[in-house]
Amino acid sequence: MLNTLSTEEREALRDSVSKLMSDASTETAVRTVMETDQGFDPDLWRSLSEMGVIGLITDEKYGGSGVGPMELEAVMEEAGAALLCSPLLASGVIAAELLQALGDEALNATRLPGIATGETIASAVLTGDTGCWTESGINVSASEIAGTWQLEGRGSFVLHAQNADVLIVIANSEGGLKAFEVDPSEDSVQVEALPTLDRTLRIASVSFNKTAAKQINATQPVWEAVNQALNMALVALAGEQAGGAKKVLDFTVEYAKTRIQFGRQIGSFQAIKHMAADLLVETESAISAARHAAACLADQSSRTEEAISLAAFACADAFVKTAADGVQMHGGIAFTWEHPAHLYLKRARADAQLFGSSDFHRENYLKALGG
Amino acid sequence: MTNESNTSDEALREEVTAWLTENWTKDISEELLNENIYWEVSAARKSWLKKVVEAHWAVPRWPEEWHGRALANDQAKIIERAFAKVRAPGAGQDRNNLWANTLLAQGQQGLKEKLIGPLLRSEVNMCLLYSEPGAGSDLAGIRTRADKQGDHYLVNGQKVWTSGAATADYGMLIARTNWDVPKHQGISFFFCPMKQPGIEVRPLRQITNESHFNEVFITDAVVPAENILGAPGMGWQVLNTALAYERSSMGEGARGPRSGAKQATQEEPLIAVAREAGKLDEPHLRQQIAQAIAYKRLNALNTARAKADLSQGTSSSIMSLGKLAMSRILHEEGRIRTEILGAESLLEGENHPRAEDANFLSLNAYFTSIGGGTDQVQRNIIGERVLGLPKEPEVDKTIAFRDVRTS
Repeated sequence: MLNTLSTEEREALRDSVSKLMSDASTETAVRTVMETDQGFDPDLWRSLSEMGVIGLITDEKYGGSGVGPMELEAVMEEAGAALLCSPLLASGVIAAELLQALGDEALNATRLPGIATGETIASAVLTGDTGCWTESGINVSASEIAGTWQLEGRGSFVLHAQNADVLIVIANSEGGLKAFEVDPSEDSVQVEALPTLDRTLRIASVSFNKTAAKQINATQPVWEAVNQALNMALVALAGEQAGGAKKVLDFTVEYAKTRIQFGRQIGSFQAIKHMAADLLVETESAISAARHAAACLADQSSRTEEAISLAAFACADAFVKTAADGVQMHGGIAFTWEHPAHLYLKRARADAQLFGSSDFHRENYLKALGG
Repeated sequence: MTNESNTSDEALREEVTAWLTENWTKDISEELLNENIYWEVSAARKSWLKKVVEAHWAVPRWPEEWHGRALANDQAKIIERAFAKVRAPGAGQDRNNLWANTLLAQGQQGLKEKLIGPLLRSEVNMCLLYSEPGAGSDLAGIRTRADKQGDHYLVNGQKVWTSGAATADYGMLIARTNWDVPKHQGISFFFCPMKQPGIEVRPLRQITNESHFNEVFITDAVVPAENILGAPGMGWQVLNTALAYERSSMGEGARGPRSGAKQATQEEPLIAVAREAGKLDEPHLRQQIAQAIAYKRLNALNTARAKADLSQGTSSSIMSLGKLAMSRILHEEGRIRTEILGAESLLEGENHPRAEDANFLSLNAYFTSIGGGTDQVQRNIIGERVLGLPKEPEVDKTIAFRDVRTS
């Protein structure tokens, strides 16, 4: 069972994550780690583990913290502000939630404790090269040959697959959609890291060639389980986007107070000031949307789908707009590699494509409203 | 009335509930709740307000001598909640009666004795004489003048955007009394009697073809010296306290379509309009409709979060974003409705209610994006007061007003 912390406890959690980020996910640290193959700092990963963040939404009986979407969202705001580089979303959120949603008790008892502590990194293969996180995007097929399941096909946009110890693969079969566990070190599995514009991100394609796979005994229709995991992922991502957007606005406003041109602070010009005011509307709206979506998911509200769709496009668009306008407001300095603005712009652009585009979520939002 | 300031919450709740049970009778409540209030206040309403004021329920935060109970905010809210529960009007005026609050805070004893009671009982009608044709966003640039002549001021000038000017007994007026000091320092604040020969009121026709406002031409109007609020030259400060009361009593939502046709369902109006027009399947419209609804929903979520912050004791800067957000919501709704209708939006009149709605919303959106401070002024305020960005240099801030450049 997932619990919800009191507001004070949640803020305490947020503060400790914020503190950890300011120690270990500084701009310098992000720039160092983003140039490594692994793409995350094992020491920071251990610190997150000790804080209970990796197993945040994993049930206590599997060694997790057993808290819910509201706590996850709060943590992700801080992580987003600091451009945290880690497999948290891939493993601690999506893989953990997908396994819990699939509900294979025996598998969960063996797998989830390692995922919750971060010793095991897991990732889910949910889509192919089309990169649309819908049932039609699945590009792996499964067939049962002599009592053994074999996978064939190519998944893509798999977060941190190059770091994964275990893959959860959603595949089509004659009997419908099924979920499998795969060991990525098998010879028949080819994990190929994909170059990304956002160097703080790690994604890979995963090809299966007659790969032996272990079927996961799902206790609910597989796509519903995937949806449950995607909902949790979207709430986490919305938090990251809201936190990132707020951070960009903060440092952009600070710059506008110190940069002098024409004998004045540039922030005194309405051309800059009005952009900043508009961005404040965007960032505050993103924070409201992300927190509201988390609260709806925590309450299992009947309007959860609507709230998550709203947060998905509102937060994605707010982060992209804030990061993009932030570059413009800085002027030439933000066109340089050494300035951090581009790191946020690239993260914003990446986040805006993960788990569906803004247009996709706007369409879902209208459907959820009955339109 | 029992008036010990140490009355317990429970005793107060019982007292106000008992009083309402006795006085807010079925007859009175039915009459008042069904009447259509605009500028004229009915005799029944005045008579009810008189009872409320006499029983000291109207302004419980105020001192006893001014019809109050000197209660703290928490206890005053008990009274407001009891009134709200039975939908009885008249309570909470120490928060939302702009005129009475301004007068009590800044007025001279004589004027207070004369008008506080009538204001609380809605026996006098009021209007605002602030904006001028030459002083909109730059309100401190007013050029209406008030010149002291013995025991009164003689006022000359022109005001605009005045609601209720035709029926008003008094207008809260800002006028310049000193032209030799910088603009903010030469303004004074008055209760100006409206029913006199020097006041001429002309209705303004708006772009929506409605008339909710007037122009007021002031020629040698007489204002008794005791009607000044605050000291001469301190009018800008008085105005700011008045504006603060006005803001705290505002917050009503934007107006809906003119046709007033009730939505049969709870469906979002834009979805309903698109469905009715057979355009709900068009992908580019679906995207825009979803986005417009989202703007509205996000603003509601921001407001809810701001209120939650306030209830936890931390003040929230999000509240100041609402008006700017609302401008975009209304302009977008008008624009998308027009796009859904296409050529039909060329039409008007009662046979074309959808076009009427779309066109009215499109035009009336400016009421929010210009009225009460343009979006541009609002962005300055957010930039400066919320984000802490520096102000633009003001070239007229320190020079005598008579030397300030005008258009």
